[in-house]
Order: sequence, then structure tokens, then C-alpha cells
Amino acid sequence: MDLGKFEADNTVSCRLSSPIPDVCKTEDCCLGIDEAGRGPVLGPMVYGICFCPVSKKEDLKDLKVADSKTLTEEQRESLFVKLDEAKSFVGWALQVLSPNTISTSMLQRTKYNLNALSHDAAIGLVQYALDSGVQLKEVFVDTVGPAEKYQEKLSHRFPGVEVTVRPKADSLFPIVSAASICAKVARDHAVKGWKFLEDLGQVNTDYGSGYPNDPKTKSWLLKYLDPVFGYPQFVRFSWSTAQSLLDSNAVAVHWDDDEEDGEKAAACQNNASMLSYFSRNTHTHTHTHTHTQANGHHSSPREPHRFFTERRLHSVSSL
Amino acid sequence: MSSNSSVTTVQLGSVSQADELQVHLLPCEIEHDGPAEVSRYFTAAIKDRKHELTVSFRGRGFKGQEVICPQGYTGLVLKQVHKPSSDQEDGVVKVSSVFHNLTYWNLETPPSSDDGVVMAMGWPELAEAIHGPIED
Repeated sequence: MDLGKFEADNTVSCRLSSPIPDVCKTEDCCLGIDEAGRGPVLGPMVYGICFCPVSKKEDLKDLKVADSKTLTEEQRESLFVKLDEAKSFVGWALQVLSPNTISTSMLQRTKYNLNALSHDAAIGLVQYALDSGVQLKEVFVDTVGPAEKYQEKLSHRFPGVEVTVRPKADSLFPIVSAASICAKVARDHAVKGWKFLEDLGQVNTDYGSGYPNDPKTKSWLLKYLDPVFGYPQFVRFSWSTAQSLLDSNAVAVHWDDDEEDGEKAAACQNNASMLSYFSRNTHTHTHTHTHTQANGHHSSPREPHRFFTERRLHSVSSL
Repeated sequence: MSSNSSVTTVQLGSVSQADELQVHLLPCEIEHDGPAEVSRYFTAAIKDRKHELTVSFRGRGFKGQEVICPQGYTGLVLKQVHKPSSDQEDGVVKVSSVFHNLTYWNLETPPSSDDGVVMAMGWPELAEAIHGPIED
């Protein structure tokens, strides 16, 4: 599997795909959707689709694809090679969501949660298959969330396609197993070949499983934790494990749109304006600014004009 | 707090030897005052896509652009060399580095000419117009 396109810029989301088999453009097709790397605190999450003509379902079964989680890495690799060899009737496409995409989406001002991110990735891939001329009739989806709602959403989005959303679909439908293998192989390759864009020198790649509860993963996070910048972009900052390690091992950072900080800032401003209202008279007596002294008269300090506040320009008389 | 009679002296002699530095203005408050691995974690991660600079910090997305100091102005990074121990004592700062442009970053929003920093750069010209000598 060639991840070159993703590796060229691993900070963004990237689409990888096989050529579309000609037969998929003329015959009714089934399509499976699955994901890999949803839980880990490290590396990308990969969404995968795999599709073939409905008439070729048995041929796919003969390839002995199975749920990627029940397979070893070597088995997945060899099954991916088999899927590639079956390219006359099997096609696939992947959406690689970089850890940076996941972090910045989940932490953005208008929160974009992992479920919405996943659904949109899946929808984007199905749309890609349709746009490429694949004659879609059946779609099978593996889900971790509530199946009914998701099925409703997809059916509504793709009228004319029969959508089946099912927990453990990756072990029930071979086309979903095939999708899970493509996604998992891509995820493994992406993690293994991760090019750190930070200048970290030789990085210890003993990440453990990447799951937050793995002690190896946790000690890796601590090893590469920087007190100011946090982690390399290989880490999903939005994971609670990543956050709590930062809370206790890194310096605090305050954001304008953070609710707590925002309230504090607002409270501060209110206090300041109240105080300045009461202290306006005493202010000139106790703290004489250098320029008022030079002018030789005590004018009451005025609020700076909007021109200055908008530009955050302040008069500075001391450091 | 402003002090009554103390004076802060800026040692400008160091300007000519000061290094030119790349300065970044971030849309957040970092509770840290000291050296940081800026090039290792931050500048190395900056992407320039279609003339829009992007980077992320602590998992938040930034979009930014470079602004140039107004003509005739030089940005100074000052370092305190003598911290006054009382209100009456004078302080001394030296120029640790200089800059002629800086990169400012917005939290998620694309940079525009309405951003405070961009607009602030227009003040020297306006100040000159309203405070400078009137020519016939």
C-alpha cells in the first residue's frame, strides 16, 4: 500500500484509493465501510470502503477475508495483497484522518466531535464511490455507536441504496471485513512509517499499542512531552489521557474562547471598569503618569479611544 | 504599576550586535516566561498552503500571516539586566534581539486586514500626520 500522498503532508486528512474496476461501473455493487484506529491516542484514524459487484460476493468469500481484529498483522498484509490481486472486481478507498485533524476538529471553537467526524468521513467515501461511477445498491457499515440512527442518516443521505448498519458488521459481511483490512493495513503503515515533522532527531518508536491505558504508550507520551508545546502532532491532543498528562506536566495555556478563562476574563474586565469608576479621582493623585507630570496639570485619565483599543495599542510609561 | 521617579534605561548599544529573530504572536496566554523549543516543535510544523500559513499548538489550529514593521521602525526584544529592588531604583534593559517582521496567528480564523496587529501597524503613519510639523 502506497501512503506517499499522506506522508507528503501528515497534518491533514487525505484520500487514497485503488483504480475503480470497470465491472463496478456496469454491475450492481455492494460496499462495506469500517474504521481503524479510533481508540488510540496516537496516529491517524483511517476510514475504509471496499466494493465489488453483488455477483462476486462468493469470490470475495473465497479470499477468506475476516474481521481485521481477529487477524495477525502478517495475515492482514497478505489478505491486502490478495485484495489487490483481485482488482479486476474489487476496489477500495481510504480516508486517512491525521491526528492533527482529529485534535483541531475536536478542540475547535465549534466542537466537531469524533462521531460527526467519522460519519462525515464515511459519507464522503460513499459519495466518492458514487461519483466514480460505482453502481451502488447495498452498503454495509460497522458501527460503535447506536446503529438505527446512523442507518437512518445514511439511508436518507443516499436514497436508492440499501443501507445496513450493524455492530460487528466486520465479522458478518465479507465486504466489511475487506474494508476493515484495508483500513487497518493503512493505519499500521502510517503509524510505523510516521515522519515526525517536529525536529526530534531519532524518535523511539516503541509506542506500545497506542491505546491510552497501555503503560508503554503512557510512558512514550511522557518521554516526548514538552512543557510548552505539549506533544508532537503524532499525538491526539483531544484525548483525555493526553490532556491530563499535560495538566500535570506542562505549563498552563489560556484561550479566549475557553469557557472558564472567558468568564474569568469577562469578570476581570467588569471589575476593572467598576473600580476605575470609583477610583477615577484618586487615581491621578496616587499614580501620576510621567506625561501628566510633564504637562504640569492633572487631567483625569480618559479611556483610550476605540482606535487604540481595537488595535491593542497602549501607552507605556513603565515596564 | 507605574513608579514615581524611577527610570528604565534601554541600552541601545546592543542593537547593532543583536541577532535578527523570528517572532511569533500567539492567540493565547502561555504561563511560561523563558526559553522554549520553538524551532523544534513550532516552526518545523508550519505549513504554507496557498499563501496561508497554518500550524497547530496544543491541538488547536492557527492561521496566520507575516506583518512587516512600519517603515523606519525596528522591533526590539528587551531583556532586563538590572531588576530594580524598589520603586526608587532605576532599571536597566538591553536589546537581546531585533525583528523587522513578525508572524501573528489567529485561532482558527483566517488572517485579514481587520486584524488588530495589521491595523496597529498603521498607527505610526497616522501619528506622524497628526503630530508631525505642518508643512506649507
